[in-house]
Amino acid sequence: MKKLITALGLALLIAGCNATTPQKPTSMKAQYEAALAETQAAVKKAASVGGEWRDIRWKKSKKKYLPSAVKAAEAGDYAKALKLLDIAKFQAEAGYKQAMAQKNAGPRF
Amino acid sequence: MTKFTQRLGGTTTVLALCAGLVFSAQASADDIAAGKKIAFDRKKGNCLACHQIEGGSLAGTIAPPLVGMKARFPDKAKLRAQIWDSTVANPNSIMPPMGRHKVLTEKEIDLVTDFIYSL
Amino acid sequence: MKKTLTLLLSAGLVATATQAFSSPKEDLQHFRAYFEQRFPGVQLNDFSNGPYALDASKRLQWESMEEFPPYEEYVDKGREIWETPFKNGKSFASCFGKDPSKVRVKYPHWDSKTQQVVTLEGDINKCLKANGEKPFGWKKGKIAHLGAYLGYEARGQKTNVVIPNDPKALEAYEEGKHFFYAKRGQLNMACADCHVYYSGQRIRGNTLSAALGHTTHFPVFRAKWAKKGKGDGLGTLHRRYGGCNKQVRARPFKAQGKEYRNLEFFHTYMSNGLEINAPGYRE
Repeated sequence: MKKLITALGLALLIAGCNATTPQKPTSMKAQYEAALAETQAAVKKAASVGGEWRDIRWKKSKKKYLPSAVKAAEAGDYAKALKLLDIAKFQAEAGYKQAMAQKNAGPRF
Repeated sequence: MTKFTQRLGGTTTVLALCAGLVFSAQASADDIAAGKKIAFDRKKGNCLACHQIEGGSLAGTIAPPLVGMKARFPDKAKLRAQIWDSTVANPNSIMPPMGRHKVLTEKEIDLVTDFIYSL
Repeated sequence: MKKTLTLLLSAGLVATATQAFSSPKEDLQHFRAYFEQRFPGVQLNDFSNGPYALDASKRLQWESMEEFPPYEEYVDKGREIWETPFKNGKSFASCFGKDPSKVRVKYPHWDSKTQQVVTLEGDINKCLKANGEKPFGWKKGKIAHLGAYLGYEARGQKTNVVIPNDPKALEAYEEGKHFFYAKRGQLNMACADCHVYYSGQRIRGNTLSAALGHTTHFPVFRAKWAKKGKGDGLGTLHRRYGGCNKQVRARPFKAQGKEYRNLEFFHTYMSNGLEINAPGYRE
């Protein structure tokens, strides 16, 4: 009887744990998908004001952070993908800021 | 705890603090060498594109030669800030904002600062 | 009294507004004055020789290259392209007129019908397509060879870009002007940074050319472009625009897209009065 109660208790505990703790791969994937959407929006915004930097996604760049992130995610390396998206998003936001700051650029003579 | 052990603990702490100060105030020869490597790397600092630096060849003339740096920047932190973002001092500066635009990492900027400060 | 005061005030406002805006003509005057001051002793037309006008040792090197120019064969290739009829029997002369020496100087120009800046390369490909031929690539090869020939035939003629009194044309000019002076890319540089404010200085071993005289010698033979896999060395203006943008870590714009055509419009206008000396040789 004691053994049965212990076994049942243990089974319930494990089931309970599984129910409350989300599966790790899904969580990282969800994080990646959210970050990807944010990054793509930021790149679009930078491009709309002519402020896109070279290494975000240009085909001839040696870095291509955004496509590289997508590639890493497709291979299941979400940690790498998130790191690359971080860089791409930073560059996109910085390029947008730069273009806006340069709105009144003109000769200084 | 006896007075003796208390005193010993206190002295050790003071010594440790002093040692820490000494290590943080002066860059090691290794750090300076590492900083020089980054500075001279065309894909990283690329400083020779514009600045004459001792040990570098065929340097550009766009910017001031980097010499006598401790006299020009007594405060090392100010030198680091200038490398991090030269547009703060001059919004029209042609120098890339090495930190603000993440051309170099923070660690790389630390090392480059160590090197440039030694010139 | 109130009416007079309001009238005077509004007149004053209008006056200051028009003073704040500079016309292309005024821009050109200031541009020339800047470079004449920065490089005293260099004649206006000498600026079309780029860094060789600014650096005595480079001039000797350039003069020796001009004796047996490496671009001569490209002029010859361009002549052949010009003279060879299309499959339908017509030729480039059908689009541009019989005299090849009269073509280059017309470009770039504002086309009021299509409301955009038209370039020589643009019209070359327009002619090919209209005659059922495959268009050329924008940056090198045949388009550069033909450009070299037409440029060579026009040597000595003065650059003469016309900006008509059309608000849209002016807008295109202003966009090109803004592009030239705005910092861009991760390296945060504007065309003007190197080619105006630091022109004549050296970046590593290379002398920065002055923007005054930039466009007269395109298409250009660039030694860097003659390396393996990069082509025969000859390239168009938009090829160089892309290369420069890439170098400051900005994403290059499309050759013959709106950005570079408007830039060319402003850029060439700034060399008005300077003689065409295409094709040119550069390091």
